[in-house]
Amino acid sequence: MKSNEKNFIKRLQRQEEDALEFIVGAYLPLIKGVTYKVLAPLQNEGIVEECINDIFLSIWNNALKFKGDGTDFRKWICAIAKFKAIDYYRQAMKKVEFTSEYMEMNAEKSVEEELIMMENSSELIKLINRLDPIDREIFMMKYFLGISTEDICKQFDLTRTAFDNRIYRGKKKFSVQATSLTFGGNLI
Amino acid sequence: MKDIYELLNDVKLDEKEFIEVEVNDLEKAKVLNTLKTSIKRKKKWRGWKMNVAAAAMFIGLSTAMVGLTFPAYAGDIPVVGDIFRFLDNGRTGLYDNYKEFSTEVNMTEESKGVAITINDAIFDGETIAVTYSVKSEKPLGDNPFIMDTLGVRGTNRMSGSLGITKVDDYNYVGLITASNFEEDDRDVVHFKWDIDRIMFEGSDEAVNGSWKFALSVKATDAEVTALNHVTEQDGVQLTMTKLAVNPMSYTVSYDIQVAQSVKDKWDAVEVDLAITDDLGNVYEGQNNGGYGENSYDHHTSKTFQKLDPKATKLFVTPHIVLRNYSTDDSGGVEITKDGVKEIVSTNTKSEREEHTQEEIVIDLQK
Repeated sequence: MKSNEKNFIKRLQRQEEDALEFIVGAYLPLIKGVTYKVLAPLQNEGIVEECINDIFLSIWNNALKFKGDGTDFRKWICAIAKFKAIDYYRQAMKKVEFTSEYMEMNAEKSVEEELIMMENSSELIKLINRLDPIDREIFMMKYFLGISTEDICKQFDLTRTAFDNRIYRGKKKFSVQATSLTFGGNLI
Repeated sequence: MKDIYELLNDVKLDEKEFIEVEVNDLEKAKVLNTLKTSIKRKKKWRGWKMNVAAAAMFIGLSTAMVGLTFPAYAGDIPVVGDIFRFLDNGRTGLYDNYKEFSTEVNMTEESKGVAITINDAIFDGETIAVTYSVKSEKPLGDNPFIMDTLGVRGTNRMSGSLGITKVDDYNYVGLITASNFEEDDRDVVHFKWDIDRIMFEGSDEAVNGSWKFALSVKATDAEVTALNHVTEQDGVQLTMTKLAVNPMSYTVSYDIQVAQSVKDKWDAVEVDLAITDDLGNVYEGQNNGGYGENSYDHHTSKTFQKLDPKATKLFVTPHIVLRNYSTDDSGGVEITKDGVKEIVSTNTKSEREEHTQEEIVIDLQK
């Protein structure tokens, strides 16, 4: 059986490999567009390629966490793509000596790196989960997806002041909760 | 708590922001290729981790088992630690001391989403007993079974097996035995177990795959005594030939000879031994099956629970059951490699006669 527009989400969630073929065929142009837009300034084809692979792999590994129909799926993978691309951009900026040779030799991150990343993001995600839904979305958009303040204001019909207030209150909440986290937590 | 991927579900992004760029087929193929390799690599990695965890768990469990005087039943332990006991389930108690003296193997073979692990193996000089567990991605039904028997190097005679028991939909444990080798008193046995398929009871379905094991097991220290006790009654003659005592059990080997007059009259002769000792212990046991020229005259053996070291005499009482099968309760089916064959009887009425033979006394040398 082949995956098509109607069944590919189910097949993807059941981890059928042909679903992967379908999503690469249908969405690679889009994913590449999103990734390029973020990573173009780095002028490094290798990072773009690795990032795209990583995005598809994450879609595959987290397919069960997706909820919704085909249109939602498109939005979901775009969000993942953007979030991943920004993540890659930030890492690359921190580590300018990141050479393409290194990329090929170490396509997978070392265990330590992976652990540290997991730790950092899981603590942050824990905090984000404690915000109320609208703030949660605003934070996700602003900090994970790098969407401009104007655009977010437009989408949520907020004034600039209201937006700033929400960000301020959220950050305050974060700092209170972050300091109350137990030792061993690793917060950025 | 939602993780990042679930959170991203709720984010409403502006579609206009996303522009498609041109991608050629080569690029698509490249991405797909990389993905498929990373998926496979990831699977392998996971499997490895699981094996290590399982191995570590078994080592942990077995040390605990040895340390306890009254080891808990496998039922109390989340994962089956002592499969011998688990399968016996307290019925005979025959396998109570097996785990302690067995060799941990922990070899796993995976095929078609089914992983078969040989957990322990033990060889008492007469019988190899191998415990195994089956872990499947899909449920295997209530009664899966494996037809492939153990192959022992240097002999083609063997018999005996216990089925598979379901732990839950995805986990099964089993015990397979092979007994009665042509040449006795081996110190070590080399055997292989090639499994081609797992079948389901009452169905044509099967999981066809390939799971291959080969290993050697050393015999546990056994004290072997040759016997020559003969008893004969109603045309059935029994000769006790050997007593092998090892730390976890003992085995009595014997020959059955049936007179022609009995063969003419009865379809089958079944012999079972009951053993007690001079201290009043009653030993539970299990027949190992046997080999011979025909279904009447054959060499067979029965393994009993651990021998009480203080006992000086064993009292063996043979029970004989003579049977005639009828068309409606025929002896069931004969299962061979070629398939299942029904045993058809011509008798119209089934008959059954029971005899208890005279007690045999075996003196235990001290």
